[in-house]
Amino acid sequence: MPRPHIEPYVELNDPWKKQTLPGFPKGMRYKVLSLDNETGACSLKVLYEPGYRQPPGMSYTEFELFVLTGSIQVGDQVHGPGSYFCVPAGVHLAELSSPRGAQALLYFNYSEPSFVESDTDHPQAERQRLVSVNAYEGMQWSSTHFFPATAPGCLVKVLRFDPRTHGFTFLYCMTPNFWQDNISYHDCCEESYHIWGSSWMMQFGDLPTGGYFWRPPYINHGAFACKLGTLALGRTDSQLYNHFHFNPWTTPDENRERAAARMQNWKPELYTWVATGEHNHPVDFEFPGEHGHAHGDTPHHHGDGKVKHSHGRRPWRKRR
Amino acid sequence: MKLIKHQRTKAAIVWLREEIAAQGRRYRSIVTEQEALSPKRDRWVAEFLERIQTRGYHVHFDQLRKIPASEIPVRPKRKFRVVF
Repeated sequence: MPRPHIEPYVELNDPWKKQTLPGFPKGMRYKVLSLDNETGACSLKVLYEPGYRQPPGMSYTEFELFVLTGSIQVGDQVHGPGSYFCVPAGVHLAELSSPRGAQALLYFNYSEPSFVESDTDHPQAERQRLVSVNAYEGMQWSSTHFFPATAPGCLVKVLRFDPRTHGFTFLYCMTPNFWQDNISYHDCCEESYHIWGSSWMMQFGDLPTGGYFWRPPYINHGAFACKLGTLALGRTDSQLYNHFHFNPWTTPDENRERAAARMQNWKPELYTWVATGEHNHPVDFEFPGEHGHAHGDTPHHHGDGKVKHSHGRRPWRKRR
Repeated sequence: MKLIKHQRTKAAIVWLREEIAAQGRRYRSIVTEQEALSPKRDRWVAEFLERIQTRGYHVHFDQLRKIPASEIPVRPKRKFRVVF
């Protein structure tokens, strides 16, 4: 089981813990928001104590950092609230310090937190994928651009988009008196942290400032409402499609089956090809070194007729 | 590059064990809290099913469709779970 369904979780009254993992300097405290039981990938809220200094270094896993309050300094650049980084595995960052302290969201996407001192990139690092933006000052709000879309009044700023998985990280807001009367579920995991404001969902009640959820695929959420406005940071691990409906009592299994039936109607040729003839492990010619696991470990081959072979496991999550 | 292969340290193994246990406690606490919310949730669901018949159900963005009573789903006998 990768990450359990953590929804809702309000962390504000829970204590900070000292970060004592090897490599991390003193002065970082953290709270775990959610954690993958197998890979160690995790979402943390962190506190950099005033005077915190982290030497130049890298992580073995891609990580994302979003500054909530205070400021951090990376090299000679100061990054205040709204600053966002997505740092690929092995890409080294200059010295990170926080002379006056800061709080941030820190996501280690594919394994447990790691930090290794280094003033150069790892040979496998892909520095061109490094993202650094200020979400508050450097970007503007736009509609969600999904079809079907969320109701008017839900706006986004896309901070990072993965062209391969279509997973993305986004700042979103709900305007005062926002409402959306449908129930939604997705094929992806979805995660959110409320930076400010409260919103309401029919299943879970109010999610206030400091509220968080990690939601596996196919779980009903909504209807939605927001009285005074909300600002939040969201993430998905793959493409977000809004499967809307109005049956409050469906289960994740039923929702997944409905999603598969819809895919059969939307892409009948592809669905038939994938579902039959041992084509269940398709290879993307842009990424020939890896392939999908549409049907787990059912017998298959890759065009060479060798049905008996093994695969490494997919790091972030498995389908439920 | 999303992940570089590395050996997990002993300290990381211990850290993970502790945090997984803490997360298990957090999950159970959430399930209990959400079960306690059931009476309120039942009322919210009833109000939702009423609203989509009168004001409408969001099909897409600002497009609303009023759902006829004949399409309103019937609650199944199984337990109503929201946390999985």
